[in-house]
Amino acid sequence: MLSLDKVSVSIEGVRVLREVSCVIVARKTTVLIGRNGAGKTTTLRAIMGLIAHSGGAIRLDADDLGKMPAHTRARAGIGYAPEDRRLIPELSVEENIRLPALALKLDRAEIARGLDEVYGLLPELHVMRSRPAGGVSGGQGKMVALGRALTVARKVLLLDEPFQGLAPALALDYARTLGELRKHRPELALLITESSPALLDRIADRTLQIERGEILLPSTKDDKAHVHEV
Amino acid sequence: MSNAIIPLLLDSLASAALIFFAAVGLTLVFSVLRVLNVAHGSLYSIGGYVAASVCLFITSRQLNPYLSFAALLFSAVFVAAIFGPLIERSLVRWTYGKSEAVQILITFGLFLMLEDLQRMIFGVQSFYEDTPMRLLGTMTIGGVVYLNYQILLIGMALLVVIGLRLLINHTRLGRLITAVVTDREMAQSIGIDTNRIFILAFSLGVFLAALGGALATPTSGIAPGLGADTMVLAFAVAAIGGLGQIEGAAVASLIVGVARVLAIYLVPSLDAVAPYAAMLVVLLIRPYGLFGSVTARRI
Repeated sequence: MLSLDKVSVSIEGVRVLREVSCVIVARKTTVLIGRNGAGKTTTLRAIMGLIAHSGGAIRLDADDLGKMPAHTRARAGIGYAPEDRRLIPELSVEENIRLPALALKLDRAEIARGLDEVYGLLPELHVMRSRPAGGVSGGQGKMVALGRALTVARKVLLLDEPFQGLAPALALDYARTLGELRKHRPELALLITESSPALLDRIADRTLQIERGEILLPSTKDDKAHVHEV
Repeated sequence: MSNAIIPLLLDSLASAALIFFAAVGLTLVFSVLRVLNVAHGSLYSIGGYVAASVCLFITSRQLNPYLSFAALLFSAVFVAAIFGPLIERSLVRWTYGKSEAVQILITFGLFLMLEDLQRMIFGVQSFYEDTPMRLLGTMTIGGVVYLNYQILLIGMALLVVIGLRLLINHTRLGRLITAVVTDREMAQSIGIDTNRIFILAFSLGVFLAALGGALATPTSGIAPGLGADTMVLAFAVAAIGGLGQIEGAAVASLIVGVARVLAIYLVPSLDAVAPYAAMLVVLLIRPYGLFGSVTARRI
């Protein structure tokens, strides 16, 4: 379980997040909805330790992530696919997907298992695995970024605006993949940000609204279950 | 005709090799840490002083003189192991993400400290210890005498080019370095300890500089001021090749080496100017260097 407790973030003196509190629970897909600039990406970046938070605490289970350097997130089991993909263009698609396993010094068998799982969920990646990542389209790049995040996401998967800029057909594919992922990895806590709720209606278990750096009402489909888990 | 050209070529290549060791370390450190280390030349001269001292020790104790080759390599490793982590952790790390002016001021301060440190320890007289060069002897082709040590220098430079390329393209560390060079934040997100990569890359840069200095002492000796001279030359080479480019540094070293040797043979008074004239011409045509790009992130 990933929890944010009154997390505030300021960028160059401007408060971007104001005492954000929320709980991202295992086995649930949480969708964070907000307009551009509402603080969705900042929330994910704060979780990843890419930006310092000035107050509050971010915890994964019992660990205080705020006290741990950014690179420890991957080992702790948090996968992150940023909105702008951020692949290494000169490496192949497969090399990009393998990079986290390489960084974490996983052994060969584990790397192979991770790749198999990613290719099972995203067969199109297997087709283009030896192409340089710099040569794939934006939408395909999103799939690669998802695959790369999956290789470390044992507990939590953070997806920043995965549907942003996807062609309708690819968006459908992507949504279907997320459904498959839910079945395949039931234990995973999934946090997805989006600007329009329509795309995620079917896969969201819970929806959070963020506006001007504040989370509004935690309206959930199963509020009782949520309260119980907290 | 060939009697005139071959020695000229060999001199150029040997001179290029020495410049290359200094420049490639500078460019490697810049591409990974995004810090232009003004004190890089001092590490070249420290490598030279340490190598000369160890070689003098070997000859004074009448140990096997061939040990002096190992001493050259050992000195570079020694300097890198001591100064690499020390400088990166104590000074350079505070400049990450700061403006270039801050980075240059801090590393310039370090340069002044290292220069004085060398004067304190090794004095101001020049060191000359040419055991390794004498051991390799000379060869005569067509009546012209060549130093075999120059061939060793050229071979070592080629080894470094190939070795670095293999390291970057075919090892785990190389992959991680590429990730950090391309996107520091993403590298952290996928689990790369960037601080560790910074220490390793900086120490590798120090090793290459110190190796250059160590290999240079048998041919040219070492004296105060070598650090500054080397730094300026290495910077010219890095600028010609494009900052952050390994092969770029190799080609640029060749250009600077040839320019210098040609000047020495033809118009000796222009020796010091030739490298910068070459740099000027290249930068006028290609402002980011021969292999450089605006983003300067490939290595």
